[in-house]
Order: sequence, then C-alpha cells, then structure tokens
Amino acid sequence: MGREAARQLAPQSNPTRETAPSAPPLLDVQGLSVRFDGAPKGVNVVDDVSFSVSKGKTLCIVGESGCGKSVTSLALMGLLPTPPARIVAGAAVFDGQDLLTLSERERSDLRGDRIAMIFQEPMTSLNPAFTIGDQIAEGIVRHRKVSKAEAMERALDMLRKVRIPAPEKRLRAYPHEMSGGMRQRVMIAMALANDPQLLIADEPTTALDVTIQAQILTLIRRLQEETGTAMILITHDLGVVAEVADEVAVMYAGRVVESGPVEAIFDDPQHPYTIGLMGSVPSLGRRQGRLATIRGTVPPAELMPKGCRFTPRCPFSDGHCANDPPPLAEIRPGHRARCWYAPLELHRGAAS
Amino acid sequence: MLRYIGRRILIAIPTLIIVSIMVFALQKLLPGDPVLTMAGEERDPQVLAYLREKYRLDDPIPVQYFAWIGSALTGNLGISLRTDIPVLELILSKLPVTIELAIMAMIVALAIGIPAGIISAVRKGTAVDYTANVIALSGLSIPNFWLGIMLIMLISVRWKLLPASGYVPPTEDLWLNIKTMLMPAFVLGTGLAASLMRHTRSAMLGVMRSDYIRTARAKGLLSRKVILKHALRNALVPIVTLSTLLFGELLAGAVLTEQIFTIPGFGKLIVDAVFNRDYAVVQGVVLCTAVGFIFMNLLADVLYVLVNPRLRHAA
Ligand SMILES: Nc1ncnc2c1ncn2[C@@H]1O[C@H](COP(=O)(O)OP(=O)(O)OP(=O)(O)O)[C@@H](O)[C@H]1O
Ligand SMILES: [Mg+2]
Repeated sequence: MGREAARQLAPQSNPTRETAPSAPPLLDVQGLSVRFDGAPKGVNVVDDVSFSVSKGKTLCIVGESGCGKSVTSLALMGLLPTPPARIVAGAAVFDGQDLLTLSERERSDLRGDRIAMIFQEPMTSLNPAFTIGDQIAEGIVRHRKVSKAEAMERALDMLRKVRIPAPEKRLRAYPHEMSGGMRQRVMIAMALANDPQLLIADEPTTALDVTIQAQILTLIRRLQEETGTAMILITHDLGVVAEVADEVAVMYAGRVVESGPVEAIFDDPQHPYTIGLMGSVPSLGRRQGRLATIRGTVPPAELMPKGCRFTPRCPFSDGHCANDPPPLAEIRPGHRARCWYAPLELHRGAAS
Repeated sequence: MLRYIGRRILIAIPTLIIVSIMVFALQKLLPGDPVLTMAGEERDPQVLAYLREKYRLDDPIPVQYFAWIGSALTGNLGISLRTDIPVLELILSKLPVTIELAIMAMIVALAIGIPAGIISAVRKGTAVDYTANVIALSGLSIPNFWLGIMLIMLISVRWKLLPASGYVPPTEDLWLNIKTMLMPAFVLGTGLAASLMRHTRSAMLGVMRSDYIRTARAKGLLSRKVILKHALRNALVPIVTLSTLLFGELLAGAVLTEQIFTIPGFGKLIVDAVFNRDYAVVQGVVLCTAVGFIFMNLLADVLYVLVNPRLRHAA
C-alpha cells in the first residue's frame, strides 16, 4: 500500500527494471562489520552488512539516523578514520577486487576514478583555501594523463553539466562565495569528473533547502542516466526511494534487516521494522515521506540485545529473537529479511 | 584591502601614543640621577647645572615629554649621554645586526618547527610523535644561555668549528658573517621552533579532521598531497600569524643571546644603556622596539587576511 502512495507522489517510474541474475554485480558487499574502539565488546557499529549493486543500477540504503549508513559507505571508500574505526570482517568485491584488502595506494587509485562519493555536508566538504576549478581539476589530473589546462577545461565542462550559472566565473570562485546547493553541485561535478562506475551519494540533499533538494536529486538522476553510473543512494526519504531505487537495503542499528527489489520492499515488506516504516510512507498532504516514528528508540550500544537488534521495539519478538541473531535469509528470489518469523503471514498469521 | 590596512594603521596610532608616554614615564620613575652618573667622581655643581641645562632635565615633565616626542617624530631621538653619539645613529648601526640574527633565527625556527609539527601530527600517537614532543618540551625548557654556553664549549672550544663570539658585517666577509651568526641563530631559533612545532601540530590535527580533507582523499589524492596541499594550507593560517607575533619573543631572546655571544646588536645596546643609565638611548631603543612590535602586529593582521580567502574578499 505504501508503494502505491509513493508512486502517486513520484509518478516518474523506472520502466526497465529487469533483473539480470547472470551478470556478476559491480559491487558485492558480504558481511561487512565495522567496530569503533571503545565500543562495548561484540557490538559493531556496522554488523554483518551485505548488499550488492549491479552495473548502472541504483541501490537505496534507508534507515534511521545513526544506523550506520555513513560508516558503511565510508568503509567502502576506505575513508574511515582508523583508529578509532576498524573493519573487523567482511568483503566488498568491486569488479573482481576486494576493496577491503587492497593496499592504500591501490584504493586511492580507484577512489575518485572508478568509485566516487558525494557527502552529506556540502557546506564543509570543499576546501576553503582553493578555487572550485582547482579542486575539480586536481582530481582529474590525479587519474588522467592530462595537462592542468585540459583538466581545467574538463572542470568547466563539468560545471556546465551540473548546471551552475556562469561556470567560467565559478571556476575561479572560492567555496564561501557559493550557496549550499551550488556547493553540492560542485561536489557532484567533482565526483563525476572521471566518469566513475559507482557513485556513492550519502544523503546528498539532507543539508539543503527543501526547494533545492528536488533539483539536486533530479540532477544526480539525469547525470546517472547519461553516464550509466551505478549508484548507492543513502536517503531518509521513502518517496525518493520509490522514485529512483532498483534495489533497497533497509538498515537498522548497524544491520541490514531487509533487502530486495524496490517493488518487493514496498509491496510486500517482511521485516517488522520495514513494515513499520511503510506504515508512514507519504500520506496525503505530506510532500515528503520521512521515516516513520516507530514506538521506542534504538537501544544504546551497551544494552544492545545479543540477538535481533530490533527485539525491544518489535511487537512480534520473543526470547528466541532476543538471544539468537537471525540470518539475512532469502524469502523469495532476491528478497531477504533478517527475521526469524519472516514471512510474517506464515509465522504469525497477521501483518501490515 | 588597502582600506583595511589603512584602518589597521589608524587603530595603531593611539597605541603608539600610549606607548610613547609609558616609555617616557618609565624613564622618569627610574631611580638614580643620570647627571651624577655622567659627571663621574667630581660632582662639580657647575658641571652638574650645565648638564641639566643641556639635557633640559629641569623643565616640567610634560614639557620634557613634548620636546622629546616632537624631536623623535623628526627622527631626532637625542644624544647618548654616555658616548655623545646621536641615539638614532646608534640604533641604526646596531639594528641591522639584530635583524639579521632575528631573521636567521626565524628561518631556523620555521625550518625545524613546521616540518616537525606536520610529522608529529600525521604520525600522532606513534613513537615519532612522542619523540618530537619530548624534544620540543626540552627545547622550551632549556634556557637559551645554557644552550649557548654548551654550544660554545663543544663547537667552538672543543671542536673549534665555529667562532665563539664577535660579529663580522656581511659586507666585509659574508662567509665569516654566517659562521659567526650560525650558533646564536640556532640558540635563539630552537626555543621558537619548539613553540612553532606545537602550534603546527595542533593546527594540523584540527584541520586533518575536517570534511574537506575527507573530500581530498575521496578524490584519490595521495596522502602527501592531501597533507602538504589541503591540510597545510589551512593550518598555515594561524601559524603565519603566530610566527609574526613570535618576533617579539625573538627580540627578547636576542637581548640574552647577544650577551652570550657578545654580538654588538640591539640587545647589547639596550643592556649597556640600562647599566649606564643612558636615558636617551634606553628611550630610543624601547620606542623603536615598541614601534617594531606594533608593526609586526599590523603585519600579522594583514597576513592573516591575505592567507584567508574568506577574509580577503570581505576586507
Ligand atoms: N568517529 C566515530 N567514533 C565513534 N562512533 C562513531 C564515529 N562515527 C560514527 N560513529 C557512530 O556510528 C554510528 C553510525 O553513524 P553513521 O554516521 O554511519 O550514521 P548514519 O546512518 O549515517 O546517520 P545519519 O542519517 O544521521 O547520517 C552512530 O551511532 C555514531 O555514533
Ligand atoms: Mg550519515
């Protein structure tokens, strides 16, 4: 039911959503776990996270604030501050190479070239001491055999692509002379300058004015379609998910609790947490579907249950849930849920 | 930008007036009669009266002040009571020596302090970091005179590598000039290097946590470039200001260092003048120092704006 509502708000649909199980995914993350020094023993901020992204497709990661979305994406980029963060388990195979075992040098060769990232904080993500042009061009010079002048030319092209007015002038501007929306456009230009195969966009519009949010998102979508880049889009906005996602991964307290094709997640959510989320997707009169407020809060790390981390807030939980962590099990082809009782209709008789 | 500098200079004027009054007043409050010192053993009342008349010591204090400041503004700082040489001439002959010492010491300080600060910030929490911090702490706590004496004993007396004292103008023999200034510059520079290192370290640590450093790394830039371009450029903003302000400390250190190495500079001039109660010289030197200090502050303000694009546009 949520899906229908979302669709109405977001009429632009994705007609080509065939799943091609034969081709290996562009990025395949398995069992990624990240620990912060000082956290209680055995409680990972990101725990056993698995998902995959196919070439040219969009995976949306949704989840409450603090559930580990940024930490997950930074781990993939190799940008986590170590210490205190440590990747304690998992693999992230990108085009045949495990990102987590590459040397720092090999990883930096990929970063900004084949995998790029846009951050949550456009206001602080550009260096105040250098011009926009310089900051875009240096990423091009780093990965391409081009002169500084050619890189500047390309930077100018990119500014045009992201629709920044008076791009020639902006090339010589400093970040503080631009608004948040313009800075995020610059970040997008920077990220896409080397035609990456994978773009990680971590809540690219959260920090922006509501009026600008839609523009930036449309821009990212258009550029993605033009270049065939695959994307991991992290967002709070289920309306956006319905609009752009091919696949969805729902995170709760550091774990993926449900993942699958966008239709399956919206039409037939299996995890109680996802079901709770869907209960509040865009209702009439609300422009944007923020995540639902589900009864209760995420337990602090030291009180985290041994088993399923949703136990304290789950209407269906029992002792089994509290003590044994359920696996992320495949319920239907491509659709996984991390719940002992999924599918709920089968085990509990009633749902949604 | 020019308007900004103009404004800063205007703000400096009241400070200068206050400083000049204080220099003058301090002088008058000092115990001891300079005329007695000058006249020596004889104390002939006629001579004393003549001297008082010559240096206008019997006029009311405000009159003395305006007479002094009026001629100071025209470059006349009076005549040394002791040597009969115009104060300005004395200062101009000693100042270049001290400026050379200060600049060389600053180079030593920057060359040691900034790289050490960067390295210990990048290697935070490692043995390298701790070692650098221990050395810096000893640099701060070892007194200049002790370090100076140790260096003289080792390098000059035992190994006979560098001259222990004296001064040769660079116009006379550049190489010998550098050789004589090397140890004093090192002694004076190391103390500053230590505080520069600690400031560089903390500025770098602050900057390295910022989002734009993460962006630079996300572009795939190598860490050398991330540190030396993106981080250092921003960390330099406070460091540049600090090094300008350190010139004051440098001058204070120079007084001592010039004594140890018997360098005929500004520091030696003021120490001698104070011991001889040579009022005019003390006044002139202190006034010059204060003006220099205010100028360095002005320079710090201007540099701060220059290295900071955000302020550059606003100014
Ligand atoms: N440097 C750090 N040290 C310790 N804990 C951290 C650090 N960075 C993040 N965390 C913890 O990791 C958890 C996940 O944070 P993360 O930033 O990934 O959340 P998020 O899902 O991106 O949230 P948001 O939607 O607000 O961006 C949080 O609980 C946070 O407290
Ligand atoms: Mg985040």
